[in-house]
Amino acid sequence: MSDNQNIKDANIHFELLYNTLLDAIPSSVLMVDDKLYVVSANQNYLLKSQRNRANTFNRPLAEVFPSVILENTGLEERIRTVLRTRMAISAQKMTYRAPGVPIRIYYYSILPVPFKQVMLIMEDVTEQIRLSEEVRRVERHLASVVESASDIVLSTDMDGRVLTWNSAAEKLSGLSSSEVQGQFFYQFCEVGQKQTVEETLRYINRKNESFTTEFGLLTPYVSNNVGILISWVFSPMKDDYGQTVGAVIVGRDLAERRKLELQLRQSQKLSALGIMAGGIAHEIRNPLAVCSSAAQFLLSDDVDWDFRMQCSMKIQANIQKASAIIENLLRFARSSLDTEMTEVNLCAVLKDTAELVENQAKVQKIKVKLLVHQEIIWVTGVAGLLQQVFMNLFLNAINAMPSGGSLTITAKILDDRVVVQVVDTGVGIPLGDLDNIFDPFHTSSPVGQGTGLGLSICYSIIQQHLGSIRAESQLGEGATIIVTLPLLIGS
Amino acid sequence: MKNAILIVDDEVDMCWAMEHILKSQGQPIVTATSGAEACARLSEGYYSLVFLDAKIPDMDGLDIARFAIKLPNYKPQIVMISGYHYANDPIVLHAIEDGLIVKFLAKPFTNDEILSLFHEYWKNMDLKQT
Repeated sequence: MSDNQNIKDANIHFELLYNTLLDAIPSSVLMVDDKLYVVSANQNYLLKSQRNRANTFNRPLAEVFPSVILENTGLEERIRTVLRTRMAISAQKMTYRAPGVPIRIYYYSILPVPFKQVMLIMEDVTEQIRLSEEVRRVERHLASVVESASDIVLSTDMDGRVLTWNSAAEKLSGLSSSEVQGQFFYQFCEVGQKQTVEETLRYINRKNESFTTEFGLLTPYVSNNVGILISWVFSPMKDDYGQTVGAVIVGRDLAERRKLELQLRQSQKLSALGIMAGGIAHEIRNPLAVCSSAAQFLLSDDVDWDFRMQCSMKIQANIQKASAIIENLLRFARSSLDTEMTEVNLCAVLKDTAELVENQAKVQKIKVKLLVHQEIIWVTGVAGLLQQVFMNLFLNAINAMPSGGSLTITAKILDDRVVVQVVDTGVGIPLGDLDNIFDPFHTSSPVGQGTGLGLSICYSIIQQHLGSIRAESQLGEGATIIVTLPLLIGS
Repeated sequence: MKNAILIVDDEVDMCWAMEHILKSQGQPIVTATSGAEACARLSEGYYSLVFLDAKIPDMDGLDIARFAIKLPNYKPQIVMISGYHYANDPIVLHAIEDGLIVKFLAKPFTNDEILSLFHEYWKNMDLKQT
C-alpha cells in the first residue's frame, strides 16, 4: 500500500468521523466557506430543511436558505464579519415560516473554524419559546387575578417579610409594593399585632392549615395609629416540593360588612325587644298596680301608722322592681354601641340575660334554670354582643316551648375554653335543619314572626369572639345549643 | 258552705293589695299564689267571686277559669285582672264570649274599680250543702 493510499484512507476515516460527529449533534449544523458556499451540513439540518446533500453541498448559501431569512437576519453579512474578525456571534434569533408550515423559531450561532470556514449552528427552540410564552401568559393571568382582586392579597416569607403586595393592599395601606417589599408585614399593622402575626405564621406552618383572624391595617386615612379592621386568612405557601416557604395572606376590609352587621344586629335586637314586650308589660304593670293600690290606701283618713308604713314599703319595693326591669332592658337595648373587646365576666352576662328573659318565660310557664357554679368566668369579648347571642338563644328556646317547659343554662370550663349549653325541652330541631339553622334567613317561624337572622347573627358574633356554636337536637325532644368560647388567657 | 272571695295571683304583693281593698266589704277572702293552689281551693270551697291573674307560672289563668266553670256544684263569677292583656285584647274578648270570665280589668287599676266589680258580681248567698 502506498503512502498516498494511506493518507487517502485516513482522510476517508476522518471525514466519516467528522460526519458522524456532526450528525450526532441534535442541532442543525452548516459549514460555510469564505465564498459563502455550503461546504457541508449535518443530517439534522437536511431533515429540518427537507433538503438533500446534492442540492445543499457546494451550493451558495443564497440558494440553500430562503431569501427571506437571509434578508431578515443579515446572515451573509454576519458570516463575513465572523470570517473577518474570527469572533463568534452567538444566540441570535431566527424565525421562519415555510409555506403551509407553522412558524419555527431558531437560535443560531456563527463560530469561526479553521480553513476560512464558519460553523453555523441552529437550534430549533420553537417548542421552548411556546412553552415559556404559555408560562408567561399564565403568570400574567394569575397576576391580573391577584391585582384585580378587591381583597388584599400579599405573600410573605417564613419570617413575615413581604414578598408581594397587590394593588388592593396598596390602595388600603397607601404604601406601594416597592415600599413594603422585604419589610416585616406587622410593621404595617396596628400597634401590638407583631405577636399575633408571628404566632399566626408559626401556627399555619406547624398545623399546615389556614387560620382566620382579625386586626387593623394601618392606613393614611385614619390617624392615631388606629387602622381599618381587616379580616385576615393566613395560608401556608408551598413550593414545588410541598415545603412551606412562606404565607399567603388575604385580607378583607370589614368596614362595610361591619356596618351591615351592626344594622342587622340592631334590627334583630329590636325584634328581640318586641318578643319580650309582652313579658315586660306584665312584669311592670304588676308592681305599678301594687303601687297604685297602696297609694290609694294612704289617701283614706283612717290609716294607722303600721299600715301606712306597710304601704310606703310596698310602694318603694315595687318601684324598685319595675325600675330594675327597665334598667336591664335599657342595658340590652343600648349595648350594641360599644364594640371594644374587653374582659367580660361570662357568668354575669348569663345571669343578666336570664333575668331579662325570665319575664317572658314566666308568661309562657317556662322555668329558667341557671346552673353556673362559678361566680366568675373571664372571657375576652364585647359584653353587649355576647348578651345578644344568649338573649337570642334563650328567646329561641322559649319560642320552642309554646306549652311550657324548662330552659336550662350551664357553663363548664374545659381546658382553655368555656362551654355554655342552652337546653330546652321544646319541639326540637328537625335533623335536616340542624346544618342550616345558622344560615342567614333560615327560619322555622311562620312568615311575619321571625326574620331568620337571629342564629346567623349569633354565629357571626361568636366567630368574632373566636368561639364556636353548634346545635344538637332530636325532633320532639328539645334542643341544645352549645357555645364554646376561649377563656381569657391567664385567667 | 261559707261563700268567699278568691284572689289568685302569683305576686304576693298583688294579693296583699287586693286583700286590703276588699277587706272593707266584710267577706271572707282566700288567696292562692299558684295555679295548683287555686284549683285546690276552688274544688274544696265555695267562691262566688274570683279575681284571677292571667299569667301564673304553673298555669295559664284561662285554664284555671276553664277548670272553675266545670266545677260540679257551683259556678263562680271570674274577673280577670292582668298586666299582660289589654282591654279589648282578642283573647280577653273571646274568653268573655265563651263565658269563661265575666269581666276583664287591666293592671294597674283603682281600688274603686275593684270595689265596684265586687258589688256587681258578688252573690250574697252561701252554697247549700247537699
